[in-house]
Amino acid sequence: MMTKNQRLVYIALLASQAVVISLLERAIPFPFAFAPGAKLGLANIITCMALYTLSTKDAIKVVIIRLILAALLGGTISTFLYSASGAALSFIGMLLVKKLGPSRVSIIGVSTTGAVLHNVGQLCIASWIAQTWTVLLYLPVLSFIGILSGVAIGIVANYLLSHVEKLHYYRDLQELNQI
Amino acid sequence: MKAYYHMIKRWDIIIIVLLVLISFLPFAIFSYQQTGLAKEGSELVAIITVDNEVIKEINLTGHEGTDIHEIVLDDGDYNTIEVKNEQIRVKAANCPDQVDVLTGFVSKPGQTIICLPHRLVVEIQTKSGETEEDIIVSS
Repeated sequence: MMTKNQRLVYIALLASQAVVISLLERAIPFPFAFAPGAKLGLANIITCMALYTLSTKDAIKVVIIRLILAALLGGTISTFLYSASGAALSFIGMLLVKKLGPSRVSIIGVSTTGAVLHNVGQLCIASWIAQTWTVLLYLPVLSFIGILSGVAIGIVANYLLSHVEKLHYYRDLQELNQI
Repeated sequence: MKAYYHMIKRWDIIIIVLLVLISFLPFAIFSYQQTGLAKEGSELVAIITVDNEVIKEINLTGHEGTDIHEIVLDDGDYNTIEVKNEQIRVKAANCPDQVDVLTGFVSKPGQTIICLPHRLVVEIQTKSGETEEDIIVSS
């Protein structure tokens, strides 16, 4: 069991890590010349971790804090709109996929869903702003990169998560010993 | 390597295949829609809009040589659009992300160049030739 303070600190830690990751990612010069606008979506790692270690309510808090802080630290209204719509859609998708249960789907499927739906959400907003739905024709290129980075992030999150679980386990044991 | 295979479960693969199919869905719908339009005698037109208002229409079919169109917005933002033979691109712009410049040349119907900071869209559409109006008489 996590105490209330532990949970608060953990949420804040995850959110701040996500903000730092998304700021770092913004600083990387664009790596794919053939797909302008594509991003790796490294902050997805944190969303996966939050989904697998926190309750749904707390995971939503992490995502919202990340969105607001990343927008305040060097975003504009339009980039906030894009990332918010992408994040909302990808979070809902990840939640639904995760509902399939750990015996059927691993964190790789969850993170890939998140990556692709993030692109879908952003393109929907872009096509709404540009008032032409042909923007969606750009989806295959983006989701190709999204699937690749989603699989990679899933593997990374898999490793990280096993370690985090161990940390929880050790911390619980230490608490028991202290009492 | 075996550790990676162990991580992947069966539904992961199902989900990834589904996602690939979904991402090609708009493409399928669009090409289905276009097969009805793309007939002989139809022409390709590049339509440049800013804030959903049509600024310029450029005929691409049969275009030769290089033309430069300068689109200057009220607040000093500019996009330089180059038409070269039957292709069109944004050659230069002062927007922060330069996504429109990186898109490069487009020439196929349905392709778009978008500059979201300037709300500028270049869209290639099929304009049916005048012959098609005669067909309406059938009823």
